[in-house]
Amino acid sequence: MREPTMRARLTGSAALAAAVLLAAGACGVAGAESSITAKDELVVGVNPDQPGVGLKARNGDYVGFDPDIARAVAKRLGGPAKKLRFKAVTSETRERMLKDGDVDMVVASYSITPDRKADVTFAGPYYVAHQDILVRATDAASVPDVRGLRGKSLCEVPGSVSFPRVKKERGVPVRPVRAAKGYGECFDLLAQKKVFAVSTDDLILAGQAARVAKGEAPGPELKIVNAPFSEEPYGIGVRKGDIDGCEKINKAITELYQQTAAGRDSEAVTLLKRWFGPAHLNTTSTVPQFEGCD
Amino acid sequence: MTAVPQAPAVPPPAPPPGAVSPGAVSPGGAPPPPARAAQAAVRRRTAAKPPTGVARLLPRTVAGRVRALTGLTGIVLAAVLVIVWVAIGNARDGVRVIGDDAGPQVVKTSRLYYKLTEMDAQLANALLIGRPQGPVDERKKALDGFDDNRRQAGAALLEASRLADEDTEKKTAQDLLDALGRYEWLAGQAILLDQGSPDARPTHAAGPPKLPVIKRYRQATELMKLDLLPKAYNLTLDNGTLVRHTYEAKRGAVQTGQVWTLVIGLLLLAILVGFQVFLTARFRRLLNPALALATVGTLVLVGASWAVLAGQADHLRKAKEDGFDSILALWRARSISNSANADRTRYLIDPELADTYEQVYFSKSQTVLYLKAESLTAYNQALQGLRPGKDEQLPIKGFLKNEEAHSSLPEQHAAFLKVINDYRAFQQSDRDLRNLVESEERLSSPTAARTKAVASRSAAADDFAAYDRSMQKLINIHDGAFTRAVDAAKGGTGGWHAVLPVAGLVIFALVLIGVRPRLTEYR
Repeated sequence: MREPTMRARLTGSAALAAAVLLAAGACGVAGAESSITAKDELVVGVNPDQPGVGLKARNGDYVGFDPDIARAVAKRLGGPAKKLRFKAVTSETRERMLKDGDVDMVVASYSITPDRKADVTFAGPYYVAHQDILVRATDAASVPDVRGLRGKSLCEVPGSVSFPRVKKERGVPVRPVRAAKGYGECFDLLAQKKVFAVSTDDLILAGQAARVAKGEAPGPELKIVNAPFSEEPYGIGVRKGDIDGCEKINKAITELYQQTAAGRDSEAVTLLKRWFGPAHLNTTSTVPQFEGCD
Repeated sequence: MTAVPQAPAVPPPAPPPGAVSPGAVSPGGAPPPPARAAQAAVRRRTAAKPPTGVARLLPRTVAGRVRALTGLTGIVLAAVLVIVWVAIGNARDGVRVIGDDAGPQVVKTSRLYYKLTEMDAQLANALLIGRPQGPVDERKKALDGFDDNRRQAGAALLEASRLADEDTEKKTAQDLLDALGRYEWLAGQAILLDQGSPDARPTHAAGPPKLPVIKRYRQATELMKLDLLPKAYNLTLDNGTLVRHTYEAKRGAVQTGQVWTLVIGLLLLAILVGFQVFLTARFRRLLNPALALATVGTLVLVGASWAVLAGQADHLRKAKEDGFDSILALWRARSISNSANADRTRYLIDPELADTYEQVYFSKSQTVLYLKAESLTAYNQALQGLRPGKDEQLPIKGFLKNEEAHSSLPEQHAAFLKVINDYRAFQQSDRDLRNLVESEERLSSPTAARTKAVASRSAAADDFAAYDRSMQKLINIHDGAFTRAVDAAKGGTGGWHAVLPVAGLVIFALVLIGVRPRLTEYR
């Protein structure tokens, strides 16, 4: 009669203690579990329509610099062996898809900006792209830099900051030729000689130039002016607050840029050469300055 | 003492507080009234009927039960002491790493970036000055500054590589050393080309130097910008990660220790109170004074331990959040500002790349204090439109916003407002200088325009220096908070490694004193 009561009481206090401790521990565990470092499968958001940078191939595979960076980073994340699945994202959807958990990580020529940092934690940048200019090779001599576009026609994609940057920020008077469907349409217009130049991130331009050079896209030979005039730090977006994941990605990016032996290309340089080499773009071969995960 | 049958698996009841008077019935089916309990015990002893179930685990004599309770009290008391001991040990470790070890070292490495930008800025200055003019040898001053910063950058790099605990970081430190060597080589060539021969002096007027000099400087500054600075910055971030991990682990351990101290401490109190109730009922005494004293002593010990641990967790948090984090972030902001300032010098040196340098200046300015703007001119307009001190929260983002958002120290806000105002002044004089260059460019060549404008660059340089000084003051405020929190944390655990065993011995001695007369009754 008495003993069971005591026992119940003791069990009660033990249970209380256990509950308190579990509750204390649970907070830590919950944080770790939603980190990308703890996941078996990573869903990576990439661009489906940027040749060289991120493109959905006919067989459904995603090919380009961004998907390759995602693979190389995932390999180094540690924890369970990562299975990768790619999902297409656009500039409009990527923040929401990260927030909703539709994708775990976004590698999609995603520039780090103070505004975006309010919603997304950014690892990297893994590359700092620059706005540059793409013209037909025959016109290249007349455009040494952005001022050479004075009075010429320039492709304008509504919503993109690239065109206003030439016209307003740099103050170069250019004639707009609108391409509502994006830079793919701009490249078509350039090939058809309906526009003089296309200006946006150099990696995107180089991806197109490389395809033309390799005969994968139609049209006359293209040339990048190599006169960079802005900095676009391409970051890897993860769920806001996943600092552990962000730090691990940064470490992986650092490794990507480190040479394994003197005279041998680092993995990042190999990828840059593979996707943009034929376009003769001046690329940076050293690790970018990280944004910091906090 | 004879062998004591121990029954740790089933300790005696822990009556609720206030249940000390005989006959009190606690809620939830607590022990039966002591009178009946005593009868039961006597009956069991005399009848010698073998007990069944869990009762078999209990000592069968009253003396045995007193001994068992004493033993249990001792064990749980020891557990409390060990828990507090370990938690305080964790707190001390945390304070040592953050306060004496990695923390200050990381702060030192964050200067690496600053020193590197300062080297490049001084090199640009030296190349801009040209032939001697006036009583002060400005070129020598700049070159001495270059050398001084080179030495300090080397020291900070050594510190950073010592802190590097992973292969990736070690490799980064090594690559930095390599790149620094190459940078100095290029810088030396630019300086030599500028002066013509080792002992000569440059002959050009203040302003852009000759093209071969510009080209060599371009290589040097590219190397600095693309290779050295990113690596230095990333290395400091890595070292910051180290401190963050220690902080989270140690603070978590202290807080877990706090919870355990409370849980086991309450258990000990319950046992002591139960013991008291048992003795009161069994021996028909009013109160066992020694045991009561032991109970009060335990209460004080648990309370004090809880308070000390809570204090430690709080000091750790303050050292990390009010001190370390802000110091690191502000050093980053200061470094980036400094490199933006050098971008203005580069804009003056190199007309060909002036557009790029202006764009980079703009983007660095936005990192420090972000305002939505399409161009540098629009940015400056928006900046001058801010009303610091009048608006509750400034509509800004970036490093300085974080500083405003984490305002917790008394002098911090005033120092922050000074930083903002000095920043605005320096951006305005930068604008004035660029306007001057642009208006001169309409009349003459880019190089001639810059040569003319260089004479007016001192206003911008002075305003930047003033801003940099107020930034330093703001950092000092956080330095002070950091030192205070670390000192308080150290003071808070002083002597605890002596207090704990003594308190334990005293409490247990009181328990023994309390039960000894009772046990003698059974001799």
